[in-house]
Amino acid sequence: MNALARYGLSRTMVVLVMALAVFMPIGLVLWQSTLNAPFFMPNHAYGLDAFRFIFDDSDFWSALKNTVFIAVSMLVIAVPLGGALAFLLARTDLPCRRPIELMVMVPVFVSPFVLGFGYVVATGPVGFYTLWVQNLIGTVPWNVYSLPSIALIAGLTHVPHVYLYASSALKNLGSDVEEAARVTGASPFEVARRVSLPMVAPSLLYSGVLVFFLGFEIFGLPLILGDPEGHLVLASYLYKLTNKLGIPSYHLMAAVAVCIIGVTFPLVLLQRYLLRSANRYIAVKGKVTRQKRLPLGQWRLPALALVLFWLLVTVIVPLSGITFRAFVSFWGEGVSFAEAFSLHAFVEIWNQPNLLRAVLNSVLIGVIGGGVAVMAYTAIGLASHRKQDGLTRIVDYMVLIPRAVPGLLAGLAFLWVFLFVPGLKEIRSTLISVWLAYMVVWLAYGMRLISSALLQVAPELEESARTLGASAARVSKDVTLPLIRFGLLSSWVLMFMIFEREYSTGVYLLSPGTEVIGSMLVSLWAAGAVDIVAALSLINVALVAIGLAIALKFGVNLHE
Amino acid sequence: MNKSTQHDALHLTVNNLHLQYGDNPILKGVSFTLAPGEVVALLGASGSGKTTLLRAVAGLEHPSQGEITLGKTTLFDGAKDFELAVEKRNLGLVFQSYALWPHRTVFDNVAYGLKLRKVGTEETKDRVSQALKNLGLGHLAERYPHQLSGGQQQRVAIARALVYNPPVILLDEPLSNLDAKLREEARAWLRELIVTLGLSALVVTHDQTEAMAMSDRILLLKDGRIEQAGTPQSLYAHPESLYTADFMGSNNHLPANVVQAEGSMASIEVAGRVLKGVCKGIIQAGKACTALIRLEQVRTNAEGENVIQAELITSMFLGDRWEHLFHLHNGADTIRIRAFGAVPLATGEHQLSFPADALWLFPTA
Repeated sequence: MNALARYGLSRTMVVLVMALAVFMPIGLVLWQSTLNAPFFMPNHAYGLDAFRFIFDDSDFWSALKNTVFIAVSMLVIAVPLGGALAFLLARTDLPCRRPIELMVMVPVFVSPFVLGFGYVVATGPVGFYTLWVQNLIGTVPWNVYSLPSIALIAGLTHVPHVYLYASSALKNLGSDVEEAARVTGASPFEVARRVSLPMVAPSLLYSGVLVFFLGFEIFGLPLILGDPEGHLVLASYLYKLTNKLGIPSYHLMAAVAVCIIGVTFPLVLLQRYLLRSANRYIAVKGKVTRQKRLPLGQWRLPALALVLFWLLVTVIVPLSGITFRAFVSFWGEGVSFAEAFSLHAFVEIWNQPNLLRAVLNSVLIGVIGGGVAVMAYTAIGLASHRKQDGLTRIVDYMVLIPRAVPGLLAGLAFLWVFLFVPGLKEIRSTLISVWLAYMVVWLAYGMRLISSALLQVAPELEESARTLGASAARVSKDVTLPLIRFGLLSSWVLMFMIFEREYSTGVYLLSPGTEVIGSMLVSLWAAGAVDIVAALSLINVALVAIGLAIALKFGVNLHE
Repeated sequence: MNKSTQHDALHLTVNNLHLQYGDNPILKGVSFTLAPGEVVALLGASGSGKTTLLRAVAGLEHPSQGEITLGKTTLFDGAKDFELAVEKRNLGLVFQSYALWPHRTVFDNVAYGLKLRKVGTEETKDRVSQALKNLGLGHLAERYPHQLSGGQQQRVAIARALVYNPPVILLDEPLSNLDAKLREEARAWLRELIVTLGLSALVVTHDQTEAMAMSDRILLLKDGRIEQAGTPQSLYAHPESLYTADFMGSNNHLPANVVQAEGSMASIEVAGRVLKGVCKGIIQAGKACTALIRLEQVRTNAEGENVIQAELITSMFLGDRWEHLFHLHNGADTIRIRAFGAVPLATGEHQLSFPADALWLFPTA
């Protein structure tokens, strides 16, 4: 009760609940990995059999190799392209910047599974673009199912992640440093390479580690694109393990999970360290007072063409593929769009209760779940707001832990929690189970939104209320919360989009009543229902688009 | 308008206050009292700990030892590890940035302290209106802070801190956010307000003119300690250290050697001339010392004792007077001497006299 006296009841409670939500699932995974049988079996014993099994499995090693290959390729592709894109959009007079800036964000908010599916129907062996190109030149110069293709697509779809960090750093750079280089005789290309990008090197380094880290978590793209030729990555290996031995092989899955976390957690710590040291770099920059865009001159149109080509490959090809596929009932060589056109898939969704429920649940979890998640994150944010004590440090580190756990694993861990913690069984078949898992998986993201809103409040505004006689709780209610109202609404919109996008976390929690579009897509894809997957994907994209439209209307900063 | 009766007459006492951030000591044992109706200025350079001291009194910083009491109420007691929460101290604090809440009107900003004290709606209305009227803001009640000028915002901040009649009002650099021109007017206005309302106030400032004009007493802080405390006149005219002398006014510094010390006076040698001055601290014959004289004490074209000859380099017109710059050749070095005068002087050699009681001799550290 010492902590209660020191930190206050409400703060302690908030942090305790948070600790429970964070540590219970991860603790269960760690514990399970040290058993040689699923923990609910009566004869389980401690041992490292699970690790021995997967280390003897050649599939595990090939999955690891593929994962490393994909992660490194993503790094090599996304960092230079993301940096270049950020430079063009943030610093130069590239035409059509505003619409491009918006389009760039699409791969961030559209589920990778949906994008992967889009590539299958657009550029797979009988994809729309494949057939079109074949008719045009008689051959198809790509194989979207090969490992290099998967790595290339993964790299291209992660360009926005680098762009986000690089552009926010570039926007803080004074234009005087670039003008100095121009005056000395450097071309725009030279300016980017020798001045602007080196000056934001810490942000590029950070985003490089981030992309590499995301490469280790990657699941949706390789699940869809890697299946035909049998390319596994760690996450899809884990997913396939479910049925490897016939019985639920939880101990093996836990062992793979521990291996993944063993790589991702150090990467998360590295990111945290880099972000802190990047902030220390802030002293080195020009005057921000005057921002003038660098004229590209003759490079203007070539640069635009390059950016548009990237957008075409990364956004337009997969999304147009999904849109086409959703409105045809069958597709193949020699089929014309007119004869195959049908609304059959949408009718099917309307008529099948579980599909309709998935759509409704997705809306619910985005709107209500997103809203409640923002409230929960705000409670945590306020519990550590302007308090530099032990409790705040604990919260700081607790936020990092779920970040290292890929959604698929988190969903699995939550399944175990709901199945085997007495009293939680009833929650398991409700949407609350999925929502809890989503909330913990996106804890770090949500907390960043809330803390950047809280950082906008000048400390004196709160201190003045204290000196006038308001208690800390009263200050939160009367000053802090009203002042961050817009930040909270923005966070709500962003959480809505993130929750619509999420697909892997719900996979293991899928059961009658807990369907969401994301997890339904994975399960329908496994069952081969391509029409329905296409239609549901389109609905998913539409929901995200609604979120984007609302965000734009209210001027929400998407670059968080 | 005598409202002093509304303010409880309480002494604010700070005793041996220590405060540190991590291993970095900010306050190293500060003690002072603030009597009812008195205005005390906390003066010091940046980093001297003046704002930290004010915030510690308000309860926004956490001292490590010492005591703060207000009347019979203990605000902080390091020995008992007791700290009264900020909101229970019932002080008024005006922030440097004013810290007005942008989401509330002027009226709501000012009324918040009364709302927290559960004052009825009618009475709140009366008291807020009265406070706004006292500060010349009567017509702005419905505005939002961003619609006000800097000076008006400052008045709202003061009204907000005064409306519930705190026994002591704390002002953090109250004039620093105003334009230079506005600042002098606001200084007079603030002093008038404090005097007419009979407030007890603790004012933080880094500007010695501001401190002297506004306060009854000045605490000059240096490195977390009180360097010297006293009335503005005594700090200006009787500095006990070189630091105080330097901080409080504009001075000429003359490197000197002590020829002979007798009682409170000493003879020194500056650039081959012997001058007489007042000893401030231990001055011993044969040692070096720093002779210091305020600009306004230097007499030009004077005869008699304590005279030195220097070359006029230029005269600068300041509007109400002239400032002359002289060079005094001391071997290879040049000593610069500045002085004020009513008229410009012709270039060439001039006789400067330093009245012996205004030439202060500080031991060279």
